Amino acid sequence: MSEERAEKIAKMAELLDDAAVTATAIPQLTKVFSLGVDTAYAVQEALVGRRLARGEKLVGIKMGLTSRAKMAQVGVHEVIWGRLTDATAIPDGGTVRTAGFIHPRIEPEVAFLLRGGEIAAVAPALEIIDSRYANFEFTQPDVVADNTSAAAYTIGPWQAAPADLANLGVLLEVDGRVVQTGSTAAILGDPRRALAEGRRLTARHGVKLADDWVFLAGAATEAVPLRPGAHVRAVVQGLGSASIKAALA
Amino acid sequence: MTLAISKDTLDEAVRILHRAQETRTPCPPLRERLLPVGDVASAYAVQRAMTQDAVAHGRRVVGAKIGLTNPVVQKQLGVGQPDFGVLFADMAAWDGAEVDVTRLLQPKVEAEVAFVLGRDLPYEQVTVADVIRATDYLLPAIEIVDSRIAGWDISIVDTVADNASSAMFVLGNQPVALSSVDLRLCGAVLEHQGEPVSVGSGAACLGNPVHAVAWLAATMAQAGTPLHAGDVILSGALGPMVPVTPGASYEARITGLGTVRTAFTPGTKR
Repeated sequence: MSEERAEKIAKMAELLDDAAVTATAIPQLTKVFSLGVDTAYAVQEALVGRRLARGEKLVGIKMGLTSRAKMAQVGVHEVIWGRLTDATAIPDGGTVRTAGFIHPRIEPEVAFLLRGGEIAAVAPALEIIDSRYANFEFTQPDVVADNTSAAAYTIGPWQAAPADLANLGVLLEVDGRVVQTGSTAAILGDPRRALAEGRRLTARHGVKLADDWVFLAGAATEAVPLRPGAHVRAVVQGLGSASIKAALA
Repeated sequence: MTLAISKDTLDEAVRILHRAQETRTPCPPLRERLLPVGDVASAYAVQRAMTQDAVAHGRRVVGAKIGLTNPVVQKQLGVGQPDFGVLFADMAAWDGAEVDVTRLLQPKVEAEVAFVLGRDLPYEQVTVADVIRATDYLLPAIEIVDSRIAGWDISIVDTVADNASSAMFVLGNQPVALSSVDLRLCGAVLEHQGEPVSVGSGAACLGNPVHAVAWLAATMAQAGTPLHAGDVILSGALGPMVPVTPGASYEARITGLGTVRTAFTPGTKR
């Protein structure tokens, strides 16, 4: 890697890191730098590297843009992946401070627990996404560099994987009201396909899915804004639910 | 009941919708021109006149469909409740059979739960328990909706007059007991060539398709045309409707209910 390129990557990672730490939106990197998808993954690695240097641990992988609804919502048309760290995990039923985010949104997901690169257990999950870019607007390299908008996540009860995961009904409830309905079929037709894609795409960047990692397969519905005081629950047919509470301030 | 529109206006609306279907040429919206905006009663009067006409021509009524069961769609049309249309036997296509796309104007497809009643539902006030008790069995279904109104530019009165934008329906063939399915949480997907093109779950239909059927039963009893044993009820879309591509085939899968398919002819140049 040229020194110039390394400096550029470090600079972009710093901008994104500061944006997240201070909960302040920044302009899209692609408006300022020339940035392709490969370099964007290098920025993501550097960005997460800064957090690991602060003591956070890498605990898994998340997939993004695995549904048509999501692709349409953000205008990007390829599956992407990001990294999960322990500092962003919220216990099931736990509380999260929205003030720590810029413009957080929340979506229902399916999570896998990995062993030997395979599914050891399944759980309903919630993911909070929070683009570090103004107005949640980005190109594909932008969102990849921004660790695919990852902000926080909650995993419900782990359980043995049912024989068929392809078409489980999914509800997103806010304060006891259903605000989104969908199916795990929204995740590439079957969340298991997201794992195959994740394995393939991470390998491209030299990342091997490790034992006990969490794998967030992708959203089953559109994301909705996470407002202070909201109680949010993801319900997945046959898998139960995962919930979080957004603190009032 | 006195209507806001004259007999002549009603007849004109019926003629226009008929002509649109017969010539496969969509017509402009009926609202304002013929039907006052928001005058749902007059719109149902148009639908009723068309139904009577159809029955007089020997078409057999086999049930009803419920539309506008999604709050998002209701909001788009500025209404707070669903609507309904009449199902005729000749609207049914067989599972997997090819549908002649030239019979249709601007078709769309959606995955639904079909209820088949084992008992009459004559009550003007209906509970969920009444619906459960009256349901003989469920079938997975694909509804092929269509609009006689150009570009699907519909308001509530346009779609109600146009038999709730109905066209055809396809029922699965394996009956399932209501007690064996979680109708709120069941996943629903409509696939085109193995790709999901519309997904949802039972809750997308008024929170539960049973709610939609309860609404329909009460509404139809109030209208003096109650639901009867043997009626087929298409309870409402479980995901966004998908415009039909001529030549394409679609499969609906509803967890716990099974699958049902439809295919369309490539169409011919007119």
